[in-house]
Amino acid sequence: MADFIGGLPYYILEFGDELVYFTPYTITLFLLALAFTLLAIISRPERQMDIAFGGDAYRTKDISISEMRFRRFMAIACGLASMGAMVTGDIFNFTLFTAMVGITNVGIVAAVKSPHVQDAAYQYGLVALSATVPLFAGAAVYAAATGSLSMIELMKGTLPAVPLVAKAMLVTGVVGEGMAPFYAAKAEMFRAPGAPYVIMCSLSSLLIFLRVVEVVMLG
Amino acid sequence: MIIRRISHFLCNYENIMPLFAGACMFLFMAGILLLPIQYSDSQLYPKTIDRNSTLDPYDRGGPPFTQVTIADQYPDNSPTAGLVTSFLTPFSLWLSQVTHHMGTTIVAHPGGIIDEILYNTRGLDTVVEATILFVAFAIASYIFRKV
Repeated sequence: MADFIGGLPYYILEFGDELVYFTPYTITLFLLALAFTLLAIISRPERQMDIAFGGDAYRTKDISISEMRFRRFMAIACGLASMGAMVTGDIFNFTLFTAMVGITNVGIVAAVKSPHVQDAAYQYGLVALSATVPLFAGAAVYAAATGSLSMIELMKGTLPAVPLVAKAMLVTGVVGEGMAPFYAAKAEMFRAPGAPYVIMCSLSSLLIFLRVVEVVMLG
Repeated sequence: MIIRRISHFLCNYENIMPLFAGACMFLFMAGILLLPIQYSDSQLYPKTIDRNSTLDPYDRGGPPFTQVTIADQYPDNSPTAGLVTSFLTPFSLWLSQVTHHMGTTIVAHPGGIIDEILYNTRGLDTVVEATILFVAFAIASYIFRKV
């Protein structure tokens, strides 16, 4: 029997060659992503307020309906991609879902009509774009060195060990897609009005980072 | 003190891209230095390439309309795997016989032959790939219309 890191799975969904498994660890992350996606669906966006110092003047930044709709759509897509990345039992599917999280994060911030936010989103998009190279290269080295992409097969310990460079590539790719250590730079994007959608960027990158920790500990 | 400096450097978002590119460069150099990586002999999806085939490089062998065995991780989960290996409609079969590469294109096969092969064993791959593409189109069209 495979040595499951996140506890014994409650349920394994068979999906051809791709197994989706729900261990206590993955199901926790899955429910977190699900809960936040539901919140993003039902909540209204925040309206930022600018207050002028030394005076009574203040103004509320208005968010147009089309912008709100688009960003909500992107937030839901981001939530779905995070949910998929949390429970998938396949290395290549994990990289695909991670790439989707990266591109939807760009979409959430790129819809804002502020040059400053869009500049930051552009740089972030470049990072997410270039991060796909180590991400998919990592998955390719996994397949080449072990001959399997299934995480459950990797956990059994019968396959050859995964080379360290493949794990490093996978982590670098996830770091680039999720911008995990670069929250200082993400703060530039958080100036964008519309709270629940922008927090979705942060939450999804946190979740995929937590998942990749489990993934590199296999095999 | 050093953390404050690092964080000050990182707070300028224009520094992120060169930093990440540098990290990738070091990683790939380390990857080259760590070669050779032992190649697993029992590959999950083995493939032989026949350059003379009109369906090159997607030809998995075998005549159309008959089952060809393809290797997969969990054969029990997809008992019909291989039935679609040579999944060609009469039109695409004809097209692949009279032309050299048109049989592999979207003209002969909506989605291409490779998708037909993959759908049975690795269904979610093709779905997520297409979804990523559509999300990218949605973002591009939204930004394009807005300007």
